[in-house]
Amino acid sequence: MRGFRNLGVQELTFPREGVAILGGNAQGKSNLLEAIYYLETLRSFRGSGDAQLVAFGCTVFRIEGDLAGDADPVQVAAAFDRGSRRKRVYLDGDPQDTLAAGLGRVGAVIFSPDDIRMINGPPAERRRFLDVVLSLNVPGYVEMLQRYRRALAQRNAALKASEGPTALEGWSRMLASSGSVLVCARARWIAERAGSFSAHYEAVSGAEVAALSYRPSVDEDETLASTEARILSALVDAERRDRRLRTTTVGPHRDEMAVVLEGADREVREFGSGGQRRTAALALRLVEADTVRDVRDPDPLVLMDDVFAELDQARSDRLLARIEGGRIGQVILTAPKEADVRVRRDALPRWQIEGGRVAA
Amino acid sequence: MNAIERAGKELSRLPGIGPKTALRLVYHLLKADPARIAQLTGALTDLADRVRPCERCGNYSDSDLCDVCSNPRRDHTTVCVVEEAYEVGAIERTGQYPGVYHVLGGKLSPLDGVGPESLRIAGLRTRVAEEGVREVILATNASMEGEATAVYLESILRNVQSLRVTRLARGIPVGSDLEYVDGTTIAEALLGRREM
Ligand SMILES: [Zn+2]
Repeated sequence: MRGFRNLGVQELTFPREGVAILGGNAQGKSNLLEAIYYLETLRSFRGSGDAQLVAFGCTVFRIEGDLAGDADPVQVAAAFDRGSRRKRVYLDGDPQDTLAAGLGRVGAVIFSPDDIRMINGPPAERRRFLDVVLSLNVPGYVEMLQRYRRALAQRNAALKASEGPTALEGWSRMLASSGSVLVCARARWIAERAGSFSAHYEAVSGAEVAALSYRPSVDEDETLASTEARILSALVDAERRDRRLRTTTVGPHRDEMAVVLEGADREVREFGSGGQRRTAALALRLVEADTVRDVRDPDPLVLMDDVFAELDQARSDRLLARIEGGRIGQVILTAPKEADVRVRRDALPRWQIEGGRVAA
Repeated sequence: MNAIERAGKELSRLPGIGPKTALRLVYHLLKADPARIAQLTGALTDLADRVRPCERCGNYSDSDLCDVCSNPRRDHTTVCVVEEAYEVGAIERTGQYPGVYHVLGGKLSPLDGVGPESLRIAGLRTRVAEEGVREVILATNASMEGEATAVYLESILRNVQSLRVTRLARGIPVGSDLEYVDGTTIAEALLGRREM
């Protein structure tokens, strides 16, 4: 890597089983995981803009990852130029025409204390989680998402320009055709993963069960075509209100995904304790890891950004058992001090990080 | 600003030509026979003076009607609708299309302030109403905006008696394996799916 945050120019070779990286606050632990995970999603997992990732005094950052094993491609690289605001992804050295071509090539999952936002935050946070997971694991999803977002911006602009019903119809149809793909993919993923979400939740919590449920703005139907028809008619029905509010009020951009405590039938987001919320966020990451493994076969690279600090002892122990009992690949974790290294405690070598420099 | 700089500046306004290339072109022209510069300026002046949109279809032309519209051997009952004039050339080069054209001059994009009234749509309606058109082929691009424009045109032409409205096919290239087709193409083919 070069020019990324405070990491300077460094080349690191991570041991096969992984590594525990120890360092104090603001030494660059999270930056290092951010750089690695950037190669999976081509953006910061902390929500930072690309320009913010460029080191002070630099105009460009570049990250290259060489993947071991039977990986194809073998090398994934990403670069961003703050001057031209251009971002490029390279597979085995070849620049790709689209960023989408480079998504999800590493097969990584990241656990971070910020994950709690997926539970505490507004519905947009949970849609973002769904969109990232599905973009990385479902072919064609990210293209549909881009198409949907553009159609939404066009329809909203048409509403602001008070264009007639016929002119609006074109954009509504574009929203319905791309939106149906999003809704069906989201519904299918949640239905497929609901069981393992509950199992992960129960295992980490030690007692209660929680369920993952999809609450689409417009319900999915049996087929893509019938879902498309449903979204279209919902848009037509909403037209008068949309004209008044000058924005599109129905569709997958208003979807919600809820975590509900079983028995109590209450949403964790509103009624959960701190521990329950953290457990729900962890269970989401664990189903994400399952998805990566099922879709892309190799065991996922697991990145953990000081995850255990926020958990009580009992939950930490159970999470540990869950992670170590499952099939995961390389583990790269960060912790402020030795006592916080929990996963693969005896197997992982310890590295130190200070001022962005990693020392093995 | 001297003459060389001025010529360079004008050339660099053209798409795909940076300041460096523009200056190289200027020096190339200066070295060549002065008659060449006169020929070039003459050709450019003609573009401005003589070329204008065809009254009927909007394609560029040296006369009131373009070569296609004024050709009696073309099938004037079939109209192929494209976004831009240069797309007429692309279809003409295939030598497979016997009909005539209609150039919209863009595509719908409210984000850029382009609504139906900014395009040559009223003219299309007039032609359909007055020229005995039997089929309109919507050949706007497969981009989201091109698609939405096609949907719009389809809905305003839908109720015209005995008019057939068709859309240019698109999707997975012939003979290719899904596994090797990129996501965008699959996504578009999915959108363009049809009943079987
Ligand atoms: Zn013409």
